[in-house]
Parts: sequence; structure tokens; C-alpha cells
Amino acid sequence: MILSFARVIKFSFQDIFRNIWLSLVTIIILILALFTVNMILVVKVVGDAAVGAIKDKIDINLFIKPDTSEKDIEILESRIRQISNVKETRYISKEEALILFKDKHQDNPEILQSLTELGQNPLTPTIIITPANLNEFDNLINQLNALDSNIIESKNFTNYESMLEKINSITERVSEAGIFLSTIFVFITLLVVYNSVRVAIYTHRREITIMRLVGASNWFIQMPYLFSSLIYSSIGVIVIMFLYYPFLALLQPYLKAFFVGYNVDLVNYFYSNIFTIFGTQFLVSAIIIMLASLLAVRKYSKS
Amino acid sequence: MIKFENVIKLYSENITALNRINLHIKPGEFVSIVGQSGTGKTTLVKTMIGDEKIDKGSITIGGWDITDITQSEVPMLRRQIGVIFQDFKLLNKKTLFENVAFAMQVCGGSSKKINTIVPHVMKIVGLQKKMDRYPQEVSGGESQRAAIARALVHRPKILLADEPTGNLDSLNANEIIELLLRINKFGTTVILVTHNREIVNRLKRRVVTIDNGTIISDQAVGRYIL
Repeated sequence: MILSFARVIKFSFQDIFRNIWLSLVTIIILILALFTVNMILVVKVVGDAAVGAIKDKIDINLFIKPDTSEKDIEILESRIRQISNVKETRYISKEEALILFKDKHQDNPEILQSLTELGQNPLTPTIIITPANLNEFDNLINQLNALDSNIIESKNFTNYESMLEKINSITERVSEAGIFLSTIFVFITLLVVYNSVRVAIYTHRREITIMRLVGASNWFIQMPYLFSSLIYSSIGVIVIMFLYYPFLALLQPYLKAFFVGYNVDLVNYFYSNIFTIFGTQFLVSAIIIMLASLLAVRKYSKS
Repeated sequence: MIKFENVIKLYSENITALNRINLHIKPGEFVSIVGQSGTGKTTLVKTMIGDEKIDKGSITIGGWDITDITQSEVPMLRRQIGVIFQDFKLLNKKTLFENVAFAMQVCGGSSKKINTIVPHVMKIVGLQKKMDRYPQEVSGGESQRAAIARALVHRPKILLADEPTGNLDSLNANEIIELLLRINKFGTTVILVTHNREIVNRLKRRVVTIDNGTIISDQAVGRYIL
């Protein structure tokens, strides 16, 4: 048994090296397929980051009456923090709001001029509330509406609800379309790999028939091809790992520039999920290649 | 050794490949099976190596009734019969040595045994100096000799030669026939399937003539009669 297994491994390597061009073509197709799959993954990670960035931007501004004391505001802010779906709150005083306003409109002298003409700070203190879970946004709005405090100037959150509904709808559609397209792409990729292997085995059909004629058992014929499948998958995944990290490192500065202020770190994502990502890819590609090899070899070893 | 009893093989309702074949071949015989193309000679060979199933009758080889042989038993049968073909059927990506060794490797022969027996058999067929060449690097006659070496390497009791000289010039063809006669002298039963009149007439051995799937003549010292 050990002798036969050693021979299977020997024949497998012999077959790979003596049909080097065919082996290279098979590996290259596998690498291209894995590259496509990883690109889909990158698009998904970037898409999720984009959706997250949009959702992160959603917060609720609670406007406070201008003459409210800091202590009352602090008490209100503390009450708001007690609400279960509140991730964090941030208090912006009248003065801070004015600085931010001026900073925002520094390129618009007309607005700054009109502010000077008013002679006083027209802005109100604000408590900015960041929700913990956007899916329970309605509940948070209801709880904020139910707040009994006479220092709140405005409690109208209707606009937030409709905006959130639209954002949720868009992100859901983007996510659904992403899953649909990814599934199709992955399916096509697997089909390409499957057929490439079958074509590769097709070129061996004469050899398979001869092996059978000299008394080789199906096991003895099939095993070298199955072992070759494992070698192809291993080489494919190792090469894609070496190709992909520099590619991600090249892509990272552009993503960083695009998602300013957000942590979209693809290299880190691929590093921290290395075993899941490439382990799954190795397993799936090995299974596909082995299945294709097995079916093709069986077909030609029937005589 | 080999016994065909009322063997019928149909490819379809209208095409009868073998029709009531009764054939007994004794151990150590040299039998030529002759007939024109498409008369059923190759089908006869295929039924002996489990490549074709028969529809009626029975086939016994060395006491083993292979009439209803299963797919998993076929490799065992083929390891006991040496077969050579017109197109040599050598593995192009293996050297001549590896081609011959392969027949022993599939049976689980040890490397030591392979390294002793294969060079010896290669010497018998006159290829000891070309063992490391690939089939495409040697002549047709040498390829056929390598195929004979492969067929002989696990010392089969029966050697089936299906048109072994079909792709060879007369010089190489004669060499192959001489080799088959030598192998027969060692006690191996040789079944030569051919439509080469000259070779059959020169052999002066048993000749079985097939026409339209039927044995029309079986002579102990025969000639090509078609």
C-alpha cells in the first residue's frame, strides 16, 4: 500500500513535469480564477466599508434652547446616554458650533458677512446622538420624542426617518446585487476551472486507456490525477497569496484617500482572515479540480 | 487454456460480430487467427481481455470463466494476459523502461524486482541500449518490441498479438514474428491476429480463419485461405 502510494506521488509529479505546459496552463487558469474570486471579495469589503461609512454619517442633532445652562444640558445628555440604542453623544456648545460653522463656510464671504451683521451668535447648542444600531432607529426616535424636557428646542425627526429608509433600501439593494453578481462570477469561475481540468484530462485519454489495458486498477489510474489536483490547488493558492498582498498594498493608498477618516484596511483584513480566505479557496479549488479529474478519468478508464 | 463455447457477440440486431464461435486453444500453442478486416478478429481479442462482453456462450481462460467478468476483475485478468497492438499503445510521456516497468508497478511489484526483471526483458527484445528513450525517439519496430517486453514482463501464460506487424515494414515485421516464435518456445501460448498472408503461410502453425464472425476453417498446420 505504501509502495503504491509512493508510486502515485511519483507518477503525479512525473505527469506534472513531463506535461509542463499543460500543467502551467491549468495552474494559470486556476490563479486567474482565484484572482477573480479575491477581487469579488475586495469589492465586497470595500462595498461594506462604503455602506458602513454612509451609515456612520447618520446621527441625530438635538437642538437645545440657547439660554439653557450647561448643567441642565449635561443632565439631558446623561439621560440620553441611558437610552439603549445610543452609541455615543457629543455636546456642541453655541461657541463651538459657531467656530465649526465659520470653518465650514470659510470660503463663502457672504455668509460670514451676514453673520457679522447679526452681531450675535445665532446658533443653538446641540447634542449629537450616534445610534448604535440603525435597524432600531425608529425605536430610538420614539424614545427621543418621548423625552420630557423643556430645554429641547426642536424634536422633529421625520426627515431622518425617510432619509434612513432610503439609505437602508439602497444599501440593501447594493448588498443583494453584490451577492447575486458575486455568485454568478464565482459560479462562472468554478465552471472555467472545472472545464479546464476536464480538457487537460482529455489530452490524457489515450494514456488512461493504455494504463487500463496493461491491468492498472481504477484506483491506480485515478490517484495520480487526484494528487496532482492537490498540487495544482496548493500552487495556485500560494501564488495568489504572493500576488495578492502586493496588489492590496498598491490599492490601499487609493482606498485610504477615498475613505478619508474611515478605517478601510484591506491588507489587514486579508491578513487577519488569511486562513479563512485562502483555506476556503484551497479547499473549494481542490474539490472542484478533484471532481473534474475524477469524472474525466472515470470516463476514459471505462474501456 | 482458452475455451470459447458457442460465443455470440452482437453489436446490434443486424450486426453480428461473433457467431457461434467454438475455439479451444491448448497451453503452449501458437495460433494465427486470420481473416479480412471487419470479420471479427479484433472483437475476439477484446472478449479475451474483458474489453467486450459477449451476448451468449462462455469464455474460459486458464480455468477462469470470464463470461460475466466484472469491471473490478478486469485489471486482474489483464495482468495475466500479455497483449500487443498494431499501434503499440505505449505511454509517450514515459521512457521505454518506464513503459515496461509500469506493467509491473500496477501489480505492486517491488522496485528491486522491477530493476532486475525489466532490463532482462529489454535485453530479450534487443532494447537494452535504448531503455531511456521515449517511444517517439525509436522506430516502429523498436516500439513494438518494447510493447512485447511490456506484455512479457509479468510472465503471462498467454500472449495476444493483435495485428502486431500492421504498422511495420517487412524487415521489422519478420523480426517481431521471430520474437513471438522465441517467446512461444519458452512455453507461452501465442495468439497472433493478422491478415498478413505471407507471415501466416511461412509460420506453418495452427491457423483459424474467421469470416463474417464465423470460424470457417481451423487447420493444425494451416495456410491463409481467403
